Amino acid sequence: MDIRNETDTKNKSFKNFSIFLILLLLLIVTFFLNVGIGSVNIRVAEIIQIIFQLPTENEVHEAITNKIRLPRTIAAMIGGAALAISGLLLQVFFRNPIAGPFVLGISSGATLAVGFISLAGFTFGLGVISPFLIFIAAFVGAVSVMILVLLLAAKVRNITTLLVIGLMVGYLTSAVTSFLMAFAEKEHVHGFVMWSLGSYSGFTWDQVIVLAIIGLPMLFATFLISKPLNAFLLGEDYAKSMGVPTKLFRYVIVILASILAAVITAFTGPVAFIGMAVPHIVRTVFQTSDNKILIPSAILLGAILTSLCDLLARTLYSPIELPISAVTAFFGAPIVIYLLLKRRNTL
Amino acid sequence: MSIIKTEELAVGYGDKKVVENINIEALKGQFICLLGPNGSGKSTILRSLCGFLAPVGGKIFLKTRDISQIKTNTLAETMAVVLTDRLSPGLMTGFDIAALGRYPHTGFFGKLSQEDIEKTWEALHLVNAQDIAHRFFNELSDGQKQKLLLARALVQEPEVIILDEPTTHLDVRHRMEVMNILNTLTKEKGITVILSLHEIDLALKSCDIAILIKNNKILDYGPPEDIIQEDTMTNLFDIRSAHYNEFLGTVELTNDFPPSTFVVAGGGTGTRIFRALTKKGYGVATGILHENDVDYYIAKTIGTPLVSEMPFRDIREHTVKVAQKQIEQLERVVDTAFPIGSLNKQNIDLILYAVSIGKPVYSLRSRQECEDVYGEQAANVQTFENMNEMLQSFSSPEALTSPAVKATVGV
Repeated sequence: MDIRNETDTKNKSFKNFSIFLILLLLLIVTFFLNVGIGSVNIRVAEIIQIIFQLPTENEVHEAITNKIRLPRTIAAMIGGAALAISGLLLQVFFRNPIAGPFVLGISSGATLAVGFISLAGFTFGLGVISPFLIFIAAFVGAVSVMILVLLLAAKVRNITTLLVIGLMVGYLTSAVTSFLMAFAEKEHVHGFVMWSLGSYSGFTWDQVIVLAIIGLPMLFATFLISKPLNAFLLGEDYAKSMGVPTKLFRYVIVILASILAAVITAFTGPVAFIGMAVPHIVRTVFQTSDNKILIPSAILLGAILTSLCDLLARTLYSPIELPISAVTAFFGAPIVIYLLLKRRNTL
Repeated sequence: MSIIKTEELAVGYGDKKVVENINIEALKGQFICLLGPNGSGKSTILRSLCGFLAPVGGKIFLKTRDISQIKTNTLAETMAVVLTDRLSPGLMTGFDIAALGRYPHTGFFGKLSQEDIEKTWEALHLVNAQDIAHRFFNELSDGQKQKLLLARALVQEPEVIILDEPTTHLDVRHRMEVMNILNTLTKEKGITVILSLHEIDLALKSCDIAILIKNNKILDYGPPEDIIQEDTMTNLFDIRSAHYNEFLGTVELTNDFPPSTFVVAGGGTGTRIFRALTKKGYGVATGILHENDVDYYIAKTIGTPLVSEMPFRDIREHTVKVAQKQIEQLERVVDTAFPIGSLNKQNIDLILYAVSIGKPVYSLRSRQECEDVYGEQAANVQTFENMNEMLQSFSSPEALTSPAVKATVGV
């Protein structure tokens, strides 16, 4: 075949490979920045020593690294990857570039459930409001909304209609949350609002393990569906004509995207922007919509951006910690606008 | 070999039947065309044949197997589709789009093998889209996109391709290109092509079997040469303001204005003038045309009063008389610069007659030619370089230097 085309293809894959390596490198750098920087700064060599459990002189550093910063950093990375992939899945599914992990009402479902607990004081007989209870509530809230959307998806033929229904369910749950807030006590409202703006603070290893056990298999599963996901770029009818069992595949996408978003949201509260923006950025950087390339790079970039934003959130006005959603949107939105203006293609 | 066969098929949405009693059979390598007005149910039938819509009644067989029993991925190996959906696949190049057609043939992760890549290029070359393969799909024109979607369908290596109005939105060049490619596929690769079309002429000239659909019924089914007649088309599309000529395969707007202009035509010189006069709203009568002249067919399709003579015969005295009668009743006579030969020399006499009774005569011949043809009467013939100039002088007759007295119009 054409020599020109062969070399073109090779150049392209070389370029993609290079960008991918750069992302990987950035991920490692971000990891050390996140673990190293804070009220106490810890050197890279020391971090490596602590991770590999080599003897160190400074027990405080060891404790900070092991108990606080490592779990938090890993959580931010997995969480960022989960939100980015959730967003990517839903953007492909809805063929709509402004779709994100929360369009199906997942975050508002979680928020409502948490609202019931922390605002209205329904503790389901558990007495105290523990972080674990909040997690359970948020997860159940998110998944219930997902199931509702799935039930509706069976009835709705048109995907855009489903998108609008998802948005409406979101508004509905937000409305109920607002009722709860209106009648709640003031100090409860502040805590609740801070939760709803998202934060990675206080992540424990136990939580990281739960996050990893649920999140990582879902990320892996997304890799497995990259082929039918590509066929979906042409729309449901074309996908079906190429052999994708579209009815089943709808459920697969919605379930994967919802669980990925739900599991991290349940721990951190809704983190804005990452899920919508990261897929845009990787598409623009790699100049492709091929999901085989986008999935791994969205995982890396989601992890990098989220952990960087978390770093900023806790260091910018230390000791005050900013809500992470504020940071992700404040720094992320200009990046996306810039990338969109720079290029000539529509998404 | 039968590729697709339907038995008492009824198609529609839910319980609502859109078209019933569909019994058709598509053989290997056949080019089948569904013709009918918008909303007649063409797309519904095609979507059912693709397996997108479950039949409301009856059955569809794909090579003897009931289509509803075939798994989607098995179906994809036999059947490819080109739809009317507007696609917005993001940052996919033309090549990416075409290569997606390999879907049923690639492995779990859809990685393209060397063979897949070669087959994709082959299809891109076949549809003449190799030069746009590296551009983003979203940047391309409708025609280019359609070629890529056709390539994508080919890359799937199907035995049957179903296309829903593949020529809509395309310019003439791309329309012909797409139809030619489809024709090649059926004749050379033995692929069965089933498509819906609006363009009667395209359908007539390319398909083996036409299926006429109107008011949710199959009106007729068979080779277009047998089933498409002038009135079929008029009925099918409810055309009142135009007529279809099955010999020439053209649609002509009907001229039902009261005749005011007698056009002396022949040898195809009248066709453009008939159309222009119809467009401007002038009623036309014409003659004397031999019944094997293209002008005769066009005039007949347009529906103008017409004086004709049997093919290859000298024009008889009686026929000339009829033409003279008509000229006497009309406002003006147009000479189309028809070629003159032994069979139609009476037409020259006809124009001289018009001059002699004082009708304004407009000629598209050059002045020199007029003098050669009409001799000293040429002075009474107004000549024009082109048709538009002539048409303009119709609306301002005072500019005419003809000595003619304006005749009263009697229709």
